[in-house]
Amino acid sequence: MLTLLRKLRRLRTDLALPAPSRGRSLAVRHVDAGSCNGCEHELTLAMSPYEDVQRYGFGIVASPRHADVLLVTGTVTTRMREPLLAAYNAMPEPRRVIALGDCALARGVLAADTEIVGPVEAVLPVDLRIPGCPPSPPTITQALIELHDAGTGAHTTKR
Amino acid sequence: MTYRDRITSALDDGYRFAALYAIADRVRVVLVAPDGTLRLEDVAAEDGRVPAIVDLAPAAAWDEREAADLYGLRFDGHEPLRPLVAHDLDLKAWTVPVHGDDAYQVAVGPIHAGVIESGHFRFHVVGDKILHLDARLFYKHRGLERAAEGRTLAEGRAYVQRACAACAVSNSVAYAHACEEILALEPSAELARVRTILLEFERAWSHLNDIAAVCAGAGLAAGNTFFAALTERARRLNERLTGHRFLFDSVQIGGSALSLDAQAVAAAREELASIATDSKSGWREILFNSSFQDRLPDIGVVTADDARALGAVGPAARASGIADDARSYSTRLAYDGFAPVAPRRVAGDVQARLEQRAVELLQTFEVLDDLLDRPIAPAEAVAGGESATVGLGLVESPRGATLCAVEHADNRIARVHLRTGSYANWPVVAHAAAGNLLPDFPLINKSFELCYACADR
Repeated sequence: MLTLLRKLRRLRTDLALPAPSRGRSLAVRHVDAGSCNGCEHELTLAMSPYEDVQRYGFGIVASPRHADVLLVTGTVTTRMREPLLAAYNAMPEPRRVIALGDCALARGVLAADTEIVGPVEAVLPVDLRIPGCPPSPPTITQALIELHDAGTGAHTTKR
Repeated sequence: MTYRDRITSALDDGYRFAALYAIADRVRVVLVAPDGTLRLEDVAAEDGRVPAIVDLAPAAAWDEREAADLYGLRFDGHEPLRPLVAHDLDLKAWTVPVHGDDAYQVAVGPIHAGVIESGHFRFHVVGDKILHLDARLFYKHRGLERAAEGRTLAEGRAYVQRACAACAVSNSVAYAHACEEILALEPSAELARVRTILLEFERAWSHLNDIAAVCAGAGLAAGNTFFAALTERARRLNERLTGHRFLFDSVQIGGSALSLDAQAVAAAREELASIATDSKSGWREILFNSSFQDRLPDIGVVTADDARALGAVGPAARASGIADDARSYSTRLAYDGFAPVAPRRVAGDVQARLEQRAVELLQTFEVLDDLLDRPIAPAEAVAGGESATVGLGLVESPRGATLCAVEHADNRIARVHLRTGSYANWPVVAHAAAGNLLPDFPLINKSFELCYACADR
């Protein structure tokens, strides 16, 4: 086990990722509203040593109750509309919504019209749109930084 | 011979069930022989009813339920025919009744506690012990198969690819093979080689990801982080070679546009050798971590008989002792002399499924090293066989044999059906969970590491 930890420490030194210039903190709740699993795989690797999104104080949390941000992937299917709304309504205010990936933004969606509601903004107020099919780990990090640094103006509407 | 007799006779001859789907008022069944020969059977519905075959091939259970939900067919003899894709129904309609002292239900999902796809698990438990699991998927059902109908064969590829990013190449190659059968085309040796390389690149990152996932499931953060780093390197290599981290759009019908010069393939080989070395050393480390290893054996057990009956495929089936791998009989791909590998302890448990991936990963690195010995040039399919209205393609995805059936009429797609390794294995996950402790379920689930997207479509 020590060997593994030493290797990880060496990788961290070799990569020499820049330290953030200021303190930040965002608790992110992810909801898959009907993705192809590509955005999930990239979001997972935003936490790999090559990107290490946690160094900015950003992390994925296990409950909407703990979240500042709802990060939604995929086109919203008819079956995921209610669970998505439930997750949003369970969040404390202020809260923000990110639509991650082309499907969440209604770009080039392939689906039967009867099975989907539409893009995330058809269901929730969206604060930040991140295009890409799928967006890469560095793109995801940059978007979270942008959202964090954009300041106040959070939504308070119940849906 | 009646429909049921034909299915019985095929199963007696050693064929296994590979897919069942509805088109208009007919039902088609695809079976695969141990040598990879595909056989198509069909039956016409009478007043919307067809005989069930679920008693002959339990693996057809989900397929019949799906055809009932999406095409309104009834399957005589499939009782009770519980809804699968259809939601908005009473709990009683889609769950198996479980009675007894202290039995209660635990509902998990569709939204899970991490970065995980959406799906619902209804556990019937006593205390921490799982008596039965009803998996309710299809929250991500996008109607991709119906949306592809009426498109050209070339347009259809995008729908199949979009079914799942993690299996984009496998699904696309299965679709391309089916289309090429319709168009009386066969891959040239170079086209077969390029597609085999792409399939193995997909397997490399998938297996690295899946080993990381099992580490995460057991709370071994260092193992998870180490294999996540290797997954990132594999995905960067995908992008360097094809321009996309998930190899999107690298598979086309009738040819391949990919071109890599000697320098590019040599660099790819070098990076793969380095990833292989690091993954071996990481594997050694987690192998000697006793508290991690202690979590793995004897949970989520699937016996060989159960795996065969339920139609398990891929690493999960091989870890249970079923030596079936579509790569050993894929005549349209470049897997000459391929033989499936097995873990040291073929126990059908979490440990065996994890080790199965580790040994397959080494094999994948070897296959890629062999195939990347020369530059890659654009390639074309060549004329071969007779044109047909129905085409079938069977490809070994990282999660198991994936079948794609395409039906063609008036130069348009009349029906496309994708039955992925994940679809085949989801009922096996539910079976494997029973009898185990609820806190072990995430680990059992991750030892299969199935996609929701390509089951839901």
